[in-house]
Amino acid sequence: MPDNNIPVTDVTASPGPASPTRRNFIKNTGITTASLVGTAALVTGSDEAKATASWAEHFQGNYRLMTDEEKQEAIDRLEKRYSLEYDKKVTVDGTEAQEGVLFGYALNIQKCIGCRRCAKACVEENNQSRGPDQEIEWIRVLKMEKGEFTRDKLNDGYPGDYGIQVGGNAYSAAGVVLEGEHYYEPEKVPESDSHYMPIACMQCEKPPCVKVCPVRTTYREPDGPVVVDYNWCIGCRMCIGACPYWARRFNWGEPNLPKEEMNPNTHYLGNRPRMKGVVEKCTFCIQRTRHGRYPACVEVCPVGARKFGNLLDPESEIRKVLDRKRVFRLKAEANTYPKFFYYAD
Amino acid sequence: MNRLLAILVLMLLTPLALGETCFESRKGSSEVTKTDTDPDLPNVKCSDETGAVLWWGDPYEGTVPMGDSDVLTPLGEAVVKPRIPKLSLHPICGTACHNGSFPPKNDDKNPRALTMHQDIVPDSMNLQHGRGAIWCLDCHHSDQRNMLTDNFSNPVSFNEPQKLCGKCHGPVYRDWRDGLHGKRIGELASDGKKRWWVCTECHNPHDVQQGTRDSGFAELDPERAPLLPKGLENADHEHHSGH
Repeated sequence: MPDNNIPVTDVTASPGPASPTRRNFIKNTGITTASLVGTAALVTGSDEAKATASWAEHFQGNYRLMTDEEKQEAIDRLEKRYSLEYDKKVTVDGTEAQEGVLFGYALNIQKCIGCRRCAKACVEENNQSRGPDQEIEWIRVLKMEKGEFTRDKLNDGYPGDYGIQVGGNAYSAAGVVLEGEHYYEPEKVPESDSHYMPIACMQCEKPPCVKVCPVRTTYREPDGPVVVDYNWCIGCRMCIGACPYWARRFNWGEPNLPKEEMNPNTHYLGNRPRMKGVVEKCTFCIQRTRHGRYPACVEVCPVGARKFGNLLDPESEIRKVLDRKRVFRLKAEANTYPKFFYYAD
Repeated sequence: MNRLLAILVLMLLTPLALGETCFESRKGSSEVTKTDTDPDLPNVKCSDETGAVLWWGDPYEGTVPMGDSDVLTPLGEAVVKPRIPKLSLHPICGTACHNGSFPPKNDDKNPRALTMHQDIVPDSMNLQHGRGAIWCLDCHHSDQRNMLTDNFSNPVSFNEPQKLCGKCHGPVYRDWRDGLHGKRIGELASDGKKRWWVCTECHNPHDVQQGTRDSGFAELDPERAPLLPKGLENADHEHHSGH
């Protein structure tokens, strides 16, 4: 960092409204040669309005630390850019969490038929990249075999003649994939010998992904969902490695989101279009749920296996599930405290 | 002859469906037509793959208030899509065919081959619903064939099958009433406005268990599998059947 006369301690000072943001830092210290070159390319590369937007976007702060005015500025900027890019009126919502709301999700694993409509509805709603070069889906439905936990398999999978266990688990022979099938394609679902387990972000109360993020661009919102400020994400993918649930996806390339398929109702922390090199994940459809609407996957599930509501409201569907049904959380032993519950009747 | 007439009448009454039509929950049970008033925010989006609804823009389209009953007082506004328009024989069945005196009532519950309605009840000799314990008039009103019946022989509208099904399926009815069983869309708040799906929108009462599948929900075409990761040519590695 050349010609930088700001003491190091100032740069790493604890965050707060008065602390230097990246933008202020650069404003105050003079722009480094590297960023000058980069932004010069930005300005000359496209028309002026877009370039101004990109310039400002490039230097905006961490969303969580912005003042309300800065947030509004960022949102206005994005609305303008997206509306131009997608040829339609795109809104970027900044609605904050409501007091007294903590979102929770429950999925009836007994009812799921494995039709994958949830995964596709999620893409319709959340503006993920479409294939074939880069297909991103936040929900993955796993097909599981029935009846693995049987008496005759109790002794399978233990280290045998080779001395080490090479795969599988304690109840089934090594080499068998017990994690479920991702790519099943039967004529009809459900198949009689299978059950299905959709997975997505569990919106942990103690999210490992948040712990590892070196730039604190992913964090837990007060109403529950773990969100990402895509503009602040540096694409290091530490969170992907930390997540025990395989809930996060990375934009390895430029996302492919056709204009006519783009959902113009977006939230800054939710389904607004992403860029190359950032991580994305389920937000419980923050752009819908913050306005009181069910998430898209809940609405599309043909068998009503998906239930959603406010965990702090004793009359909510989710609370009734927790009160009455047999409930488990995936990998509870990881102490992540998911707010996504699986249940059976 | 009567049925032919009925079909003709219906063909005239049913407005021609314009635009893309996709099914909501159970295929053949209810459909919704995509309108293109606002191409950016349509009422629904449909799957090219399966013809199923993939996304709901307007959750309340075509709904009517569910109405109250003694045992069911929803916290919020509850709306449903009326079932009757989906029932092709409904407009005439109570007058043209079953007028109350003809054909004569038959209270015999022993399964018998039907001379009519084989399309609705494909295998009447082996009616799965109730496993031989129930027969037509346990659900259908004996004098008013365009109605269902409750335990006191009061007529129940086809729009409110829950009043009939709840007679036997108590625990499921309770869960449905509280939002744990079945499908709802709309506002997530417990006192919000929701569209409820009623029993027969998901379950076919005449073919409840789908033959040998022993499941209450009809089989569907799945949406396509996610794309394989780059470099992977097939998903053989994850097949473990026949092990």
